[in-house]
Amino acid sequence: MSARDNILARIAQARNPHAAVDVDNEIRRHSRGPVPPLEKDLVKRFCEQAVRLASDVVSAKTNSEVPDLVARYLNERRLPLKAVCWPSVASLDWRAAGIEAETRAARGDDLVGITGTFLGIAETGTLMQLSGTSTPAAVSLLPETHVAVVEKSQIVATMEDAWDRLRAEHGVLPRAVNFVSGPSRTADIEQTVTLGAHGPYRVLIIVVGGQDSDQ
Amino acid sequence: MRVGLFVTCLVDLMRPKIGFAAIRLLEAAGCEVVIPATQTCCGQPGYNSGEQTSAKTLARKLIGEFDGCEYIVVPSGSCAGMIRVHYPALFKDDPSMIDAVNRLSSRTYELADFLANVAKLKSIPGRFSGSLTYHDSCSGLRELGVQAQPRALLSKMPGVSITEMREATTCCGFGGTFSVKFGDISAAMADKKCEHVAQTGADAIVAGDLGCLLNIEGRLRRRGDMNTRVLHIAEVLAGDEREG
Amino acid sequence: MQVTAMHFKRKAAENLHDEKLQRALERLQTNFVNGRAAANAQLPNFEEIRNAAAEIRRKVTENLDRYLLRFEQEATARGAVVHWAETPDDVNRIVADIARQYGLRKAVKSKSMVSEECALNDHLASQGVEVLETDLGEYILQLAKEPPSHIVAPVVHKSKEDISDLFEKKHRRTRTTQIAELCREAREILRPGFLSADLGISGGNFIIAETGSVLIVTNEGNGRLTTTLPRVHVAITGIEKVVPTLEDVTTLLRLLPRSATGQSITNYVSVLTGTKGKSDTDGAEHFHIILLDNGRSRLLGTELQPMLRCIRCGACMNHCPVYQNVGGHAYGWVYPGPMGSVLTPSFVGLANALDLPQASTFCGECAVVCPVKIPLPDLLRHLRTRQMEQRLRPWQERAALSVWSWMAQRPAVYAVGARIVARLLRLLAGDKKRLRYLIGVSEWTKGRDMPAPAGRTFRDLYKSGKTS
Repeated sequence: MSARDNILARIAQARNPHAAVDVDNEIRRHSRGPVPPLEKDLVKRFCEQAVRLASDVVSAKTNSEVPDLVARYLNERRLPLKAVCWPSVASLDWRAAGIEAETRAARGDDLVGITGTFLGIAETGTLMQLSGTSTPAAVSLLPETHVAVVEKSQIVATMEDAWDRLRAEHGVLPRAVNFVSGPSRTADIEQTVTLGAHGPYRVLIIVVGGQDSDQ
Repeated sequence: MRVGLFVTCLVDLMRPKIGFAAIRLLEAAGCEVVIPATQTCCGQPGYNSGEQTSAKTLARKLIGEFDGCEYIVVPSGSCAGMIRVHYPALFKDDPSMIDAVNRLSSRTYELADFLANVAKLKSIPGRFSGSLTYHDSCSGLRELGVQAQPRALLSKMPGVSITEMREATTCCGFGGTFSVKFGDISAAMADKKCEHVAQTGADAIVAGDLGCLLNIEGRLRRRGDMNTRVLHIAEVLAGDEREG
Repeated sequence: MQVTAMHFKRKAAENLHDEKLQRALERLQTNFVNGRAAANAQLPNFEEIRNAAAEIRRKVTENLDRYLLRFEQEATARGAVVHWAETPDDVNRIVADIARQYGLRKAVKSKSMVSEECALNDHLASQGVEVLETDLGEYILQLAKEPPSHIVAPVVHKSKEDISDLFEKKHRRTRTTQIAELCREAREILRPGFLSADLGISGGNFIIAETGSVLIVTNEGNGRLTTTLPRVHVAITGIEKVVPTLEDVTTLLRLLPRSATGQSITNYVSVLTGTKGKSDTDGAEHFHIILLDNGRSRLLGTELQPMLRCIRCGACMNHCPVYQNVGGHAYGWVYPGPMGSVLTPSFVGLANALDLPQASTFCGECAVVCPVKIPLPDLLRHLRTRQMEQRLRPWQERAALSVWSWMAQRPAVYAVGARIVARLLRLLAGDKKRLRYLIGVSEWTKGRDMPAPAGRTFRDLYKSGKTS
């Protein structure tokens, strides 16, 4: 008898017959649990929560403003204007802003990584990143600075909404779904929160879209 | 209202005036108080030590003794909790007992809770002048929801000023047999409680459980504090000011 | 990990006098207790969410095999290999075999308490696989050769000076006590490890039946690096960690970080499904998932079944006044505090951890704060009952309880006994009204006086017509 057989046998033998659940049916329904009430202005909520979790957040009306905003951010912090980026943001005019942007996966010595995002989650100010050929995960992880471009239309209320969107648009989960909520941090030393552990020291989120609506 | 008073083994042995204070309070609230003469122990020491058989025996005895009382009132959150919360658990698989147990436990109250919410005592007979701080005994708080009631009763007394201590709801370290099995840890917990009491500068520390009070008083005196009074809420509310 | 739970009392006593540890425990208490309260207050429907979370975990324990089989099916369909391990030795053997199979020599590891149950690192070292812990706290412990003292904050017991000293000795760089610099130093030392490792070992906070995914929560980024860069990823977790759906895990994620550290969400939540495919540029080529039993299945169908709901948040120990005073090392194994006091005897044997279920006042705060409503004091009481049934308690204890119970059933005898004790104690106390020493209860009197009784029992006074 294998370990698998033994374990499953022990579990089956201890099971309460009156508490059986139709697991396949339950999983098919995948019902949501209770969610906290959120304000209607999801973009505002997203930005506020992201700031609370120590990301820097700026707005842009259109994508064309993005390279200058990034250049300004990097210059303010005396960071080099050299980045690795995702294909989805490669067509922005980085050169005009003085930034040397290469479209490839990140290496250990890259200092700035620029990505898009699949969705922004307003409840917690979180970026949802999907792994894929054109969305290499390490670009948002290895460099010390991560810049993420989010369209207002990409911001949903909750992680539950995000899963539904993922199911609708992709069907199955990619190899990795990474939820990113700010710069990496640790509080292992004397419970003192320190930003910048193994991942980025800082995260800049650029929220792109028309005038702020207060729907 | 015909109220059976379960005085508890600790009150019986160590501080009878708490029992008398409870009688005085219940009578002031218009209750007829009976004291079943054969009462001894609710069974908690055995129950918490994992000795279920003797706990059940003592529970059956108590249930029999208090049959016929409209209410059972206990000047202790831990004993009241034993009867109200744990007796039903003890007998959950015993169909012959479960009805009697549920009847009894649903009529069982900790003293301050009973006075505030059931008897609705309006005028407090006692006199006390000074500042006091209230320690929330664990069972009373977490098993029975006793927190607002003692404070509500105490604040009806004109001479009383209540100062809340830091961590009023943190365990004092008594825990029944824990206090004599893990004396070091128990004393350290008591010490923290005494520190929080001292920080309030209150004249007295008050609680609803004699176990907590003995533990706290024991540590206070060993720390050299001979002045802070250590009182059961019944003593304060009934105004028994005499040193026993 | 070696079991030293039988030395609880001695270690607890030492820790009570360890000033540095006491200060560290105060910091832990302040941060995590206040953090959790503030974070939960942000959820207007916290109780509703908690009830839902408890129900999800309860339902899983009732149908564990069905969810595990569905998980295995989904994970395998996505290219992962699912292994079942009954014992820590099984886990160690499986990981060593995987290393041999792919020719792996260097592993980076993100935190896994289950791997601590197995002492995996030591075993791999003996098999020629170098393991580098990458969670900052675990890395520090690896350097210091110490076990963790908390399941979420493993080096809570160390001060920044301790860590400075350690880094100075091991890294041979200029000493610094600035926390930010210490973190930067660890990042620089560990980064090459991530980039050169061929094996990544992680735990699994949850595994999801619907999708065959492993979910890990981290703040540092080491979890992501460990599971993205090396070509083989091994995830190790307990069989009870399965959760039915993505929605269910989302409910649990609302509570786990809040309960643990007071965060609304951990910095990184990674949901890992299958292996690097045609549509990936990074990730592991091979994904092995090991499910460990080690006594968990034996809790099913017993009074201890609710313990399997645990989501390893650490709230119980953060709020436990006993843990707050003695710290985690006293508990002598992987899991400290209230949850450890249930798990350790359950996994390593009741007789090897006799004091753990006893070292509780049943204050109940652990049950109040548990996000999945595990009735911890009831479980501890059940373990005490088992100890009694198996005659594992000292005869003096059983005798004292027998005498007490015998007398309490006989009111006349009881009355006489109480009368004698009340008078005797009163006499011994004299006019000091308290006793500094009392034979038989030195555990009490070594740290406290015993206030003297009134001298007469309530029973006698009432009977004789007294009213006060």
